[in-house]
Amino acid sequence: MNSISVRGVFKEFRLGDHKPRYKTLRELLSRRGTKRVPKNATRRLALEDISFDAAPGEVIGLLGRNGAGKSTLLKILARIHRPTRGRVELRGRVGSLLEVGSGFHDELTGRENIFLNAAILGMSYREITRKLDEIVEFADIGSYLDEPVKHYSSGMHMRLAFSVAAHIDPEILLVDEVLAVGDADFQKKCMQRIETVGEHGQTVVLVSHNMQAVLRLCTRALLLEQGRLVEEGPVHEVAASYLRIGGCDSGERRYESGLRAPGDHIAQLRAVRVCSRHGETLATAEMGQEIGIEMQFEVHQGSLVLFPVLSIYNQWGTEVLWSTDVGTEWHGRPRPAGWYRVTAWIPPHFLPAGTMKVSAAVSSLGPRVEHFREKDVVTFQVIESHGVENARGRFTDYIGAATLPKLEWSVDYECASVSF
Amino acid sequence: MTVIEGHRISLSQRIAEYRHYPTLFLFLTLRDITLRYRQTALGIVWAVVQPIIPMLIFTVVFGRVLRPETGAVPYWMFALAGLAPWMFFANSINAASLTFASNHNLLNKIYFPRAILPGAAVAACFLDWLVSGVFLLGALLWRGYKPTAEWLLLPVIGILTAGLAMAVGLAAASLIALYRDAKYLFPFAVQLWMYATPVVYPANMLPRKIRWCIGLNPMSGAVEGFRSCLFGTPVDWNTVALSGLTAAGIFLAAALLFHQMEADLAERV
Repeated sequence: MNSISVRGVFKEFRLGDHKPRYKTLRELLSRRGTKRVPKNATRRLALEDISFDAAPGEVIGLLGRNGAGKSTLLKILARIHRPTRGRVELRGRVGSLLEVGSGFHDELTGRENIFLNAAILGMSYREITRKLDEIVEFADIGSYLDEPVKHYSSGMHMRLAFSVAAHIDPEILLVDEVLAVGDADFQKKCMQRIETVGEHGQTVVLVSHNMQAVLRLCTRALLLEQGRLVEEGPVHEVAASYLRIGGCDSGERRYESGLRAPGDHIAQLRAVRVCSRHGETLATAEMGQEIGIEMQFEVHQGSLVLFPVLSIYNQWGTEVLWSTDVGTEWHGRPRPAGWYRVTAWIPPHFLPAGTMKVSAAVSSLGPRVEHFREKDVVTFQVIESHGVENARGRFTDYIGAATLPKLEWSVDYECASVSF
Repeated sequence: MTVIEGHRISLSQRIAEYRHYPTLFLFLTLRDITLRYRQTALGIVWAVVQPIIPMLIFTVVFGRVLRPETGAVPYWMFALAGLAPWMFFANSINAASLTFASNHNLLNKIYFPRAILPGAAVAACFLDWLVSGVFLLGALLWRGYKPTAEWLLLPVIGILTAGLAMAVGLAAASLIALYRDAKYLFPFAVQLWMYATPVVYPANMLPRKIRWCIGLNPMSGAVEGFRSCLFGTPVDWNTVALSGLTAAGIFLAAALLFHQMEADLAERV
């Protein structure tokens, strides 16, 4: 027996309906006149003939670019939008986690917000009182429980909101991008919680741009493109084709025209790409692979000592590494005008799985001038590959570290001695 | 099993859903009450003070100038007994009518039967009325009135008035969700409605010719009925019955209007 069954679902939006739009009385009155907008001219098909099933205990990922219809589909399952055509059957109670902290009110205390928020999420009074201690402990807010939420730090606020959401125990859980907010610790808790939800036979439908999360949590995935379901299958296969269609990142950025390129009259950025030793551009790299970050820049005015700098930030905005061209013959030497191509090589088994953002800069010292500094110039995904001996080894739990190097370990062992 | 289909869910199915959400109703009501009186020095005393302030104004302006015929009841008590149900009604509509527009974020993120939002707003105002009603009864006893059997009818009138407030509030909230202009119109409409209702003047001040039909305004029956039961004056059953009928009609119309648009509420707000 499937817990979710979707058959031939269509969703049509009148254009402008998806964003807040005020209808005014004047509009209503004027519509009574002659100028009626042709009906089909202002319609947009957000979902087209979607059908799929989910069995109890399955964790299903929805993949697709922005505007592919993932959130619309989730909202239909959550009963926030109704389908224009088609049929959805849901067996069991549905809990939706489309936003953390919906209905939180600053003036109310933590305890009051727990009750209100849990009630909004569909919990009964008895359930809430039964789980109150658990929720408070999970949120780790201690003595702040009876303080108004406005006195909370943003971290406490987030923890409390998530803690409430994490304790709804529906048969079907819908999650949208919740994993994208908060710090690493918070995301770790989030992931672990969703993992246990799946283990308890509950069905989860998850939308996330965090590839790492989708790959770890989901068993199966659906790929949406322009409102149509284009692929369905094991998560690794679907994720691969999502990245192939250029999911979100291309791994390369070029500035063709010198006018648009970042920089000044001394140096200008012309291109950045992520590449392999064979020279191919990578949007996705495996953990066991050597990753090259290549930067091309033009020097217009020679004779200055220039430092090309590449840094990488992870999905939580932490700077994972910083590197400049130490060890090359150009390091610390004045550069003549011309075109430079530099590549920094990141050793295999250094970056953990996740989204990596590259920042490229060229600066000179004395006086210190940053000729350009482009944040998020390219983005790429590092994925854990199956069957490759990586730094994780046989450890299967979530790892939230900024780097995941394979270090040399030594072990001293002493036999447990039995003393009399 | 929940089935979601393109066409609208039947009314009976919708109504059945509300059974699962008593907790949400309770906590939304508590939130409204808590937020209204938190950080105020007087707290719940405001529920009593609120009708007293306009009562004083009307007593000075209306009572002195027009000298309406209120029988044995002093004008200030007469006005207070009219303002208590009226202020409940007006406050309920004003609070309930904004619930959809101001909670659009919530409506867009989580499903729950939507009428709970205006319902909780009305319930929170009802508690105010309860407090001011108890105060009113206390004032009557202090003035030497003896409790009568008619006092037992007061809760019935209260519940009927709450039903009417809910219907008008729900319709107003639905309209404001669609047309934001309505937000600016409703407060004026409510004010106008007050003067069309015998709140601060007795019904017998109205011309004899139209007196038979004042019950068409359902609040006339509610206010007059409330006051008659309170002071033990004869109840004008004609007006009360007519008001009951129009109130039922309004309730039905509001429920249908809301049902028509509930399914698409999140998209429209």
